[in-house]
Amino acid sequence: MKVGLYFCTCGTNITATVDSDKVIAELTAQFPESYASKVEFICSAEGKSFFKDDLLTHRPDRVVIAACSPREYENTFMQILAEAGINPYFMQFVNIREQVAWVTPDPAEATQKATVAIRSAMARVCLQLPLEKKELEANGDVLVVGAGPAGLQAALFLAEGGRKVVLVEKSPAIGGMPVFFEELFPTMECGPCLLEPFEEQVLHGDYAHNIELLLLSEVTAVTGYYGNFNATIRQAPRYVGHTCIGCGMCVEVCPASASNPFNCGMDEKKAIAMPFLGALPNFPYIDPQACIRTSGGDCQLCLDACPMPETVLLDDKERIVERKIGAIILAIGSKLYDCSKLTGLGYGEVPGVFTSLEFERLASSNGPTGGEIKTAAGSAPGSVAIIHCVGSLDAKHQPHCSGICCEYAFKFNRILEHKLPGTKVYHLYKEMVVAGKSDFTMLEHAQKNPHASFIRYKDITEIKITAAPDGQKIAYRGANGQEESFTTEMVVLCPAMVGSDDAAKLGEMMDLSRGPAGFFDDLNGRLHNAQSKVKGVYLAGTCQAPMDIGQATGRAMAAAGYVLSGLAAGKKLVIEPISAEVDEERCSGCRICGNVCPYKAISFIPESETSRVNALLCHGCGTCVAACPAGAIQGNHFTNDQILAEIEAILQ
Amino acid sequence: MTTLVQIHTESFEPKIVGFLCNWCSYAGADKAGASQTPYPPNVSVIRVMCSGRVDPQFVLEAFHRGADGVMILACHPGDCHYKEGNYRAVQRHRILLRLLEQFGIEKERCNFDYVSAGEGDKFVRVITEMVSTIKALGPLRLAVPAE
Repeated sequence: MKVGLYFCTCGTNITATVDSDKVIAELTAQFPESYASKVEFICSAEGKSFFKDDLLTHRPDRVVIAACSPREYENTFMQILAEAGINPYFMQFVNIREQVAWVTPDPAEATQKATVAIRSAMARVCLQLPLEKKELEANGDVLVVGAGPAGLQAALFLAEGGRKVVLVEKSPAIGGMPVFFEELFPTMECGPCLLEPFEEQVLHGDYAHNIELLLLSEVTAVTGYYGNFNATIRQAPRYVGHTCIGCGMCVEVCPASASNPFNCGMDEKKAIAMPFLGALPNFPYIDPQACIRTSGGDCQLCLDACPMPETVLLDDKERIVERKIGAIILAIGSKLYDCSKLTGLGYGEVPGVFTSLEFERLASSNGPTGGEIKTAAGSAPGSVAIIHCVGSLDAKHQPHCSGICCEYAFKFNRILEHKLPGTKVYHLYKEMVVAGKSDFTMLEHAQKNPHASFIRYKDITEIKITAAPDGQKIAYRGANGQEESFTTEMVVLCPAMVGSDDAAKLGEMMDLSRGPAGFFDDLNGRLHNAQSKVKGVYLAGTCQAPMDIGQATGRAMAAAGYVLSGLAAGKKLVIEPISAEVDEERCSGCRICGNVCPYKAISFIPESETSRVNALLCHGCGTCVAACPAGAIQGNHFTNDQILAEIEAILQ
Repeated sequence: MTTLVQIHTESFEPKIVGFLCNWCSYAGADKAGASQTPYPPNVSVIRVMCSGRVDPQFVLEAFHRGADGVMILACHPGDCHYKEGNYRAVQRHRILLRLLEQFGIEKERCNFDYVSAGEGDKFVRVITEMVSTIKALGPLRLAVPAE
């Protein structure tokens, strides 16, 4: 086999210690069919031009370049090989500068070390196989799960980019968590005012035709892989058709009612009801749990009251929707840590102890009290204790800081100051976090409130909240170690954010790993935090980590960016040739490979009882190759034969 | 007799095969090169994409072919370019050491360590230490003669 050896002297960088003539003489003697060329700077324009012309003249079977680190120029020279009509994988790049000449002062030693390194490359290169990049058709459509700010932003951004988006939302309205909040930190911006124009874009904007919105829906199965996923979605019946004009006449006549989830169960809603006042899309749904018909009644008052024909659909049925997509963006949000796990705080037992979400509803004009903040007894509270870090920064509960709780706690301070001037506000905190360029203003305002006090506690498990005649008694140990207590008329708990129950379900369905707090793991926290560990599945918003609305929509744009660049129109997916391949004849079906693959790229084929590598998902690490007890997996470009040839040549 | 052995040890230049992962350790070796820190020339490098690719049979083959030592250098825990290949590598290394001991090959002859892309100085140190360890152990003598 004719190996072309190109020896770069790198000026005198290499030849100052390595005797190039001696190396070349020894190796051309060992590989008699080969030839060698000495180049002064092979990476220069002249060097590269010479290299290409020389390849065309000599037409070698394989090429070895002895120069600097392959980490710098390997790709460049592979491209030149391809330009010269030689398979780019017929090349080895030997590092005789960084790893020989520059670190071996003795010329005899350096010359010997370089000879060995080049010899092993020449032995290996003879066994290298021609490899080709393969291309695969990919679907550019996207499934977005969750229609909160992150999901809406991603869907809209993709739709504007011409992508078809299937937007799946489990609730009957879009908007996600901020629809629960009347005002948003740090500017006390009106939540609905921020969201509604944005929601309108998704529903009726110029690109809305690219978004298929499926409400009351959940993803039940996902198969396939990046570029070619299949999703199954189950849509529950709404019992109200799209011809609804949102007049609410059906709601007025409905005789059945049930606890209202929008107000955290603090009031009731009708069996047929708008999701909430101001919900988009603005039409009602029937809660089958509450409807008289579900328990056999023959009520149809809603249908009779409706002025539109065929709009109340009492026989509406569940739909199963199948969609083909190329990528998936999860924007399913998070949930609050269960405050009843901190037994001393009296949540669910002591009257007047609320979660932050419940307080948001109490303070909202479309809430259970019409925006009047009231104690359990029904009067305006003269004092409110806001407890920060509930279940956060605590090894027994959640070790992380959710990063947004202090800010909304100070928002509550402002709401109280505004709505109930003179109300005493106690902030009990373990740590105070208000990072960011504008977020400190929330703290500043709270500190300026003359009725606010700030109390640092030592350990939340030492806080005991008990019922008192006019409210609650709070006993705690201060950061200074002193035991103290006071009474208040309302308590608001600010719990840690944790991964949602749906994250657990979707995680299992799609093989997505989750951290201890239940958030989806990202591929890399610094570089790829909007990308999950499964290729083609991206993460936006608080399903990945605690974050505020601005951060969530930012991640949504990042997730959408991956899709727009990775699955660009007319662009095929490239399958890198350095991947693993199973020889099904030799595979015993033990599945060890599948267990060690970090990318879930290996699946078991039940029909043949063998494993198969999906080259699109394979990153070419070779861990499965080393793990296979039957030697049935080939690691392309790093085959056993090639590596063994290197070993043999080194030790010759 | 004593003198002869001593002369032999001093002139003994061990042959060591080093498996370096492409992303961290190989880059660490380049870093050492860029800072032009000298180290003994005894380790010949085989570049693999991931330390997880290092099949224990490569190590056995290296000893069989006459290597006096073998090194496997990986990304630090948590830093693996392929997420967890280095964990597989360290697990295999632990099991491999037990096998080597049964063959009468001292465990010091098969070294596993973590070298990051920034640790040029650590690369120099682990290479230098390995070479002096193997020099102290002397050439590997296998009970079964090599082919």
